Amino acid sequence: PEQSQAIVIYTGWERHALVGSDVRLSCSFFSWRWTSEDVSFSWTYRPDGSRDTISIFHYTRGVPYLDNKGPFKDRLEFVGNPGRRDGSILIKNLDLSDNGTFTCDAKNPPDIVGRPSSVRLLVFENPIQAGVITGAIIGVVLGLLVLIVVIYYLMRFLVARRVFSLSVKHGKKKKEGSQQRQGPVPPADPSKVKAATSEKKKQESRKDKK
Amino acid sequence: MVCLPHPIISFQKTTMWMLAGIVLLHVTTIILLLVSSIDNAWWVTDSVSTDLWGKWELTNKVWHYTNLKDSPEGKLYDYLQTVQATSVLACVFTILALFVFLAQLFTLPKGQRFTFTGILQLIACLCIMIAASIYTDKFHVNERPGGYGHCYILAWISFGLTFALAITYLILRKKKE
Repeated sequence: PEQSQAIVIYTGWERHALVGSDVRLSCSFFSWRWTSEDVSFSWTYRPDGSRDTISIFHYTRGVPYLDNKGPFKDRLEFVGNPGRRDGSILIKNLDLSDNGTFTCDAKNPPDIVGRPSSVRLLVFENPIQAGVITGAIIGVVLGLLVLIVVIYYLMRFLVARRVFSLSVKHGKKKKEGSQQRQGPVPPADPSKVKAATSEKKKQESRKDKK
Repeated sequence: MVCLPHPIISFQKTTMWMLAGIVLLHVTTIILLLVSSIDNAWWVTDSVSTDLWGKWELTNKVWHYTNLKDSPEGKLYDYLQTVQATSVLACVFTILALFVFLAQLFTLPKGQRFTFTGILQLIACLCIMIAASIYTDKFHVNERPGGYGHCYILAWISFGLTFALAITYLILRKKKE
């Protein structure tokens, strides 16, 4: 019987990923011997806040066995290369319930004495996505409302200014005309113009009342 | 003061009461819309009270608040966001309409209609109609146990009230003195 020596297993310390994305959990080992044909990799999973550990992946004698009953059903993929001492797995379409600790245990017979290494998976919700559409609709509609009100009052203001400047010009022309005639000087024109416009307004409001 | 288009013998008191009634109705509509938008009770079963913002689940006699993105409605999250937005907009526009109405009571020339108020109220009516319609069409279409909660019913009631108020504002004229 060959003497067994220690094997050192390496995984990451922590992995971060967004909900719905894929994450690759890498596992590798160091051993003094050549990689044997009976090399095996095992992944187990312990959810956050739970004491139960379940097996989700096992590779032995050249055949990978994936979880087909547990929480990672149809979501696991073996992307490692056992010949190169790589026992990495890929988890697809992550969910918030996948938060937890993944432990990789590799054995390279006769080197079986080793400490399994763990990697912690942290799955985050994408903070931007929630509520983008809501905010966009509200912002655009209210912005349009403000814009319409501003434009409306601006138009009114401009039109009123135009009317006033035109009436002042009209008054000036009248003044020049009467001075050329050398007749009696007519009363101050702006007040005359104002009286005329207020008269017009009174007539309009009387029409509206009817 | 306000009066109806057809000339009627209106005493000071009746117009005051009418005005108070309209304002009261408007405030009631605002309250109903706010309750409908804020409370999470558009769809209710024995152990679930859900939408628009979150889901309340009764487990072991305790109510737990969960996200809607994870629930079965998560696939329709985009539609839910639209319902959220239009529901909030309906509240905003109807509150705006109340303030504009109060402002127009003092600034509007005699004999004119409250058009701006009416338009704002009409937009609010449109918004809550869009919200309730999208919700009816897309959510809980074939679910057996459960029914529509009080918020959903209030949304449709608010639709009717906002419509009536919008028509009222568009027809009403400021009384000439």
